[in-house]
Amino acid sequence: MSIPQWVLGGPFLTTVSVAVPWTVAILVTVYRRHMRILACMAALTSIAASAVLLGEAPKGESLYQALMLLFSCLTFGATLVLPRRDCTIGTIGGILFLQGSTLLAYSTGNLLVLLTAWLLSIIPFLWPGWFRARTWRPLAGLLFSSLALALAIGLISATTGVISINSLRGRSPGGAAAFALLVIAVIFRKGILPAHAWVADAAESGPALPTALLLNGHFGALLVAKLIVPLFPKVDSLFPVVSYIAITTALYVAVRALGENSPRRLLAFVALSQSACILSGLESRTAQGIAGALVHWFVVAVSTVGLFGILRLLEVRFGENLTASKHLGLAEHAPRLAVSFAVFSLALVGLPGTLGFCSQDLLIHGTLTSHPLTGLLLPIATAMNAVSIFRLFTRLFLGKRRTGFTVMADALPRERWILAVAVLFVVLGGLFPNAIVVRHSAETDIVEEAIHTSAPVEQLRADDARRAASARRP
Amino acid sequence: MSTAQAILTLVVMAPGVVFGTLALLWLLGWTPGERLLSWITGLMFSACTLGIAALAWIVISAPNGSAPVAVTFGNWFAVGDYHFPLVLIADRLSLPFLALAAVLSGLIGQFSATYLHREPGFLRFFLLLHLFAFGSLLAFAAASFDLLAAGWEMVGITSVLLIGFFQLRPAPVENGLRVFGVYRACDIGLLVGIFAMHHWAGTASFYGGFPALTRTQGIIVCLLLLIAASGKAAQVPFSGWLPRAMEGPTPSSAIFYGAISIHAGAYLLLRAEPLLARSVVTSGLVISIGLATAAHGAIVGRASADAKTSLAYATLTQVGIVFIEIGLGWRWIAVAHILGNATVRTMQFLRAPSMLHDYHQMHSAIGGEVSTAGRQIEDLLPERVQLWLYRWAFDRGHLDTILDRWVIDPLVQLSAYLGKLDRVGIPWTTIRPCNVASVSLHGPTGQRGD
Repeated sequence: MSIPQWVLGGPFLTTVSVAVPWTVAILVTVYRRHMRILACMAALTSIAASAVLLGEAPKGESLYQALMLLFSCLTFGATLVLPRRDCTIGTIGGILFLQGSTLLAYSTGNLLVLLTAWLLSIIPFLWPGWFRARTWRPLAGLLFSSLALALAIGLISATTGVISINSLRGRSPGGAAAFALLVIAVIFRKGILPAHAWVADAAESGPALPTALLLNGHFGALLVAKLIVPLFPKVDSLFPVVSYIAITTALYVAVRALGENSPRRLLAFVALSQSACILSGLESRTAQGIAGALVHWFVVAVSTVGLFGILRLLEVRFGENLTASKHLGLAEHAPRLAVSFAVFSLALVGLPGTLGFCSQDLLIHGTLTSHPLTGLLLPIATAMNAVSIFRLFTRLFLGKRRTGFTVMADALPRERWILAVAVLFVVLGGLFPNAIVVRHSAETDIVEEAIHTSAPVEQLRADDARRAASARRP
Repeated sequence: MSTAQAILTLVVMAPGVVFGTLALLWLLGWTPGERLLSWITGLMFSACTLGIAALAWIVISAPNGSAPVAVTFGNWFAVGDYHFPLVLIADRLSLPFLALAAVLSGLIGQFSATYLHREPGFLRFFLLLHLFAFGSLLAFAAASFDLLAAGWEMVGITSVLLIGFFQLRPAPVENGLRVFGVYRACDIGLLVGIFAMHHWAGTASFYGGFPALTRTQGIIVCLLLLIAASGKAAQVPFSGWLPRAMEGPTPSSAIFYGAISIHAGAYLLLRAEPLLARSVVTSGLVISIGLATAAHGAIVGRASADAKTSLAYATLTQVGIVFIEIGLGWRWIAVAHILGNATVRTMQFLRAPSMLHDYHQMHSAIGGEVSTAGRQIEDLLPERVQLWLYRWAFDRGHLDTILDRWVIDPLVQLSAYLGKLDRVGIPWTTIRPCNVASVSLHGPTGQRGD
């Protein structure tokens, strides 16, 4: 029996990957049983649909399918790692709702659908008693970013009358005003300086795993890759500004993390600093920088969700008053969680043997080529992040063993297996990175092509000749 | 792939494969016994040693005069005109270091099987030993600075994790963190140096010729590599971390700070020698650093109260002299010096825990205390200078104090100040670890164990 062609078609599979999580999110509110199993099945369906989409996508046009697969896998992992006490209707429903919205944003080529997906993704984080943080700044950050995006898309639509992203490629729709609004949306959504504080607030006073998933949707970077870079090649003189702001953020929050004692805030700062590098890479307009940024996107997403997941498991087992101000010695109780935490930490800060090493290598090389100052500052920010995350590891897991517990479980089988898979991804990805890097280097061609449409051919040739001459120089 | 190439590949990859397999099996729930672990370790390092001996024979007996054995695996990853070459090389410089790493790792493995018997971290030690061996073999067999940096970082992280091996005591853990900070800071030099080579010369490979750099570019790259080498080799002004690293178990101190890790910096400079030799500035700087370190190690070592720290400073003094030899261009003297120093120091470190026993045996044999040595050289100095020098040596040249006062404290203060800025407009009561879902549905879940 052959499979009908329409089943393997892009629109059907995209609809399945988006609609199934939403449907199951509604289903769990009614059925109220077997929530984790239902959520896992919904995430698995999205994984399967995204994997087929990725397999079917032509070379160089598979970035968003790959991101859909990544986010579906993250959701699957998060639902498995989610502690039993957090496995409520609200949490499971919210996570699936967020998954559907994020996949919709990744898959769409329409400005209005993108805006709708953007707004839907933040709804659980606006609702009191759902995922909303206890402080006002996350709410403000998300609302401001949405407002800026809505204004930008409104301006683009009003001036051009077109809402298809492909049709607007290279036309700088809405001019500098739309560009500025999009950059503001990125700054607020991504937590770029001076709007960085909401990320730490959300991580600290919001639910750990849903917040990690929200942050690792990387909607800010998505906006840069999907709209800013392809649509506005003619304002390339303004691109370095984004890079400088991103590297300033990376350094600022790296310094901030050095003295932070709240584990969740510290993790949020390190993750923010590392993910700010993604913007620098995307903006570097070099093949290495862009490929590094895209691979780094994967690394940051997997590592951060893994780290927040482990932190939440520790909170559930050992209490929520974990701190990095003293040694807690939890490795004695939970050695496998400790090792998984260490591997994710090393991957996040780009140590060798992990995929993070390759992404950092490409990122720094790419940014050094286009902006030497940024390229020099990136390793400094990364070194500070490494010290911060290692400090957190030593304080949480090493030192004198805590007493007063009767039975403290290490990673349970369902947690252990999914953590092992994630660890394998970052480690095997580090050992054999070409499988991932080559795929993303094909994506860079499209981004580069869009960037270079505005530059005169003579200038590009002159640049190439200059680079070749400097390489030959003894 | 020829026999020599296959041997080189197996020698470098074997510890990595053993580490990866054992770590994955443990992560999934299986813990190997002590006997099996020491048996695997012994077998693997014996095979590696034999393999390196065979390689040495092939290289030395080559008809065209010590032609290196090279294995090219293509690119680890490549984007556009940038590629990360995966090439291993066994030449006259790397072979002695490969042999040193394999022999001493095997020796330490066998020693530790008894020394750490029934220690709770037995498996952890052996896993880290294998990872370290993989990192060091990779660094020594690398044909490019890119690959060397990958092995270099692995050596660094295993070194730090082994300093904190006795994890129940806060001091080793905090010292490990400090060493990690110094390593990361100095490794910036290596990373930026490699990126600079790629930027200017299009490659960081030294197989088949050194990257073509102008004189100024060469000086800049050399200075960057020198920072990394000085950090790894604990040269002045980065020597403060060395006594802190003695918190680790004795076998790891022996192989890291008596033998392999501390000499990795010298190996980096030996690899970069064609660049060093082109400029008096860089050669002079290497000699100056070596001189300062040799003097520092000799003076501070005399005021060290414990055996391992004294040995560490003795090693440091010799590494300082090795730097001087490299700066002067005496390449093969430096290699011989490293091999001798590493072997002797490993033996001394491994004997250090039995030192009292050795002395007692010696006293019994000679029928009394050993007579004190003759006049010390510092007795020639005026008493005030002696006192000042003692205070200086006792505080280990004030290097840690300077680092604390001028780097760490300002950074922490800046971080605290930025923290205050971040909290503007936020009530303190809201900044607490809390999970909205769990609090609302299950009530407060916090508990403190201590």
